[in-house]
Amino acid sequence: MSEPVLSVRDLVTEFKTADGIVHAVDHVSYDVYPGETLGVVGESGSGKSVTVMSVLGLIPQPPGRIVGGEVIFGGRDLLKLSQQELQQIRGGEIGMIFQDPISSLNPVLTVGDQISEALLTHNSKLSAEDARKRSVELLHAVRVPNPDARFDQYPHEYSGGMRQRAMIAMAMANQPKLLIADEPTTALDVTIQAQVLDVLQQAQRETHAATILITHDLGLIAEMADRVVVMYAGRVVETGDVETIFHAPRHPYTLGLMASLPRLDMDLERLQPIPGQPPSLINLPPGCKFHPRCMLSHGRVRCRTEEPPLAPTAGGPGHRSACHFKEELADGVAALSADVRTAS
Amino acid sequence: MLVYVVRRFLYSIPVLLLCSFIIFTFVSVSGDPLSEVKRRPNVSQVTVQQIVERKHLDESIPVQWAYWLKDATTNSFGTDLLGNRPIWPDLKRVMGNTLQLVVAAELLAFTIALAMGVISAKRQYSLFDYGTTTFSFFGFSMPVFWFALILQVIVTNIYLATDVRIFYTANLSSPNPENFLLDRIQHLALPVIALSVLSIATYSRYMRASMLEVVNSDYVRTARAKGVPERKVTVHHAMRNALIPVVTVAALNFGTVLGGAVVTETVFALDGMGLYFIRQLGERDAYPVMAWLMVAAVFVILFNLLADILYGYLDPRIRYE
Repeated sequence: MSEPVLSVRDLVTEFKTADGIVHAVDHVSYDVYPGETLGVVGESGSGKSVTVMSVLGLIPQPPGRIVGGEVIFGGRDLLKLSQQELQQIRGGEIGMIFQDPISSLNPVLTVGDQISEALLTHNSKLSAEDARKRSVELLHAVRVPNPDARFDQYPHEYSGGMRQRAMIAMAMANQPKLLIADEPTTALDVTIQAQVLDVLQQAQRETHAATILITHDLGLIAEMADRVVVMYAGRVVETGDVETIFHAPRHPYTLGLMASLPRLDMDLERLQPIPGQPPSLINLPPGCKFHPRCMLSHGRVRCRTEEPPLAPTAGGPGHRSACHFKEELADGVAALSADVRTAS
Repeated sequence: MLVYVVRRFLYSIPVLLLCSFIIFTFVSVSGDPLSEVKRRPNVSQVTVQQIVERKHLDESIPVQWAYWLKDATTNSFGTDLLGNRPIWPDLKRVMGNTLQLVVAAELLAFTIALAMGVISAKRQYSLFDYGTTTFSFFGFSMPVFWFALILQVIVTNIYLATDVRIFYTANLSSPNPENFLLDRIQHLALPVIALSVLSIATYSRYMRASMLEVVNSDYVRTARAKGVPERKVTVHHAMRNALIPVVTVAALNFGTVLGGAVVTETVFALDGMGLYFIRQLGERDAYPVMAWLMVAAVFVILFNLLADILYGYLDPRIRYE
């Protein structure tokens, strides 16, 4: 494989709160390779957004604090860069799309201004006229109808899907090497989601940007991602290519996520949730963070005392799981998932 | 935008009419306007009768109001009760003076409060933030007249001790100033400071709260994610949004400032609307008082209009509603 575009190594991010220290991201490592889409899945609070915010230096400090690790992008450690150097990279080499296009666009500036700003910030030689021309092209590229008139409109005059497409235009403005999409479709209607995904895929094809797609929507992962990182309680619990993760998961949490999906091929009365609640990030359980909810742990001592490392599985190259008993899942995935279904 | 401004302007006409009616009725029912005149030995029965005829005092109040309105619009508020002195020239003079005071005080207050609020919000819980909070408490709790007196005492003592005249403590100008502008500034400085302290306290608190809400918003994060430098994020993205509620507060506060001007002008013996109002009240002459109230109402309405226009300029979402 070629060199990764972005390499996150042992990233640790904490937040100081009145109740104690929140361990939002704990020794997270993952790589993103050129041209691929890396899907990052996990529940709310699993640290998937905080990881990328730390990468871009967008964590408010205080209360946030990046305790350790490194983030290699273009041969440099982003965590060691000054704010000025990071500003060059943000919006330039790394573009970012946020979850809620209603609140993520500035209500008092025209959409055109906001796209032009992305261009002008990273290219001081660009004239205002050229920035406008280029912005209109970008709006056209993300299929905003009548882009020349839409340039001068405010976000409240756009529909939800159009706003998110404008966000994509903004993120793609400077031909980034890496695109980070944080829950890009969560706030949208299902029909609009499909349109936005289309535009996102087209943008990826045209710019050959590697993409980090953060979502809790496994359907979106199946459709878009090449490789998957599954996060739980601020840690990576499983990673591998999308086929393997869906067909041969080697972590009981991933399996639980799959089992909780609605299925078309089975006649189920109810959805199958993972029992229990995600742990408090202030007061994490000892050992494996998932063991209180795990159907594989069966009260085994090792699960309670020893934190499992993210280790290769027998399943295939690049497939890693952080479970002491991951191989138990190898032959019994079907059986176990059936177990889960009947048990609850 | 032009349609919006014109429409807002037209809205203020019925408001003004209603204001004039309320002012006239309330002042009229508060007592017999002739009681003071009747008590004067040098005013004859004939003169009183002339006043009654001229001011239509024998008519019902709505009819009186209509005559008064006609007088106010076509004849610049007419004359005082006795008919000796036209109201408008005096009112115009004091209005100009008060506007200088109020506009200077509000501009000063708005500028300082904006800077204070933004820095406080950017450095929440810093020494500066606590400092401005403490200052605001002082500003809120200090009566204007008391603070004005303290200022006078300090400046007078400096003058007595060093023989250096920095600021004057009374009046609007010296008899024959060498440099008119400098002289005016030296006279207005203390009243402006006294009048602006409460406004600084108010606006800076609003600005701080408004900024705090905005700096953590998603669109500010978007701007940062675009690589926009922090200073530009603060000014271009955060402040633009944070200003919207503060502008409203400032405009609605105008009535309070005008009230504060009455006190300030009295302490500093400024020939402004405040002193004029107090003097006319003392004379028990309803006509200059009503004219004054009308002018004050026009100012308040004008400033609200200005706020609405600014609001529409700052917030594109309300322009078309």
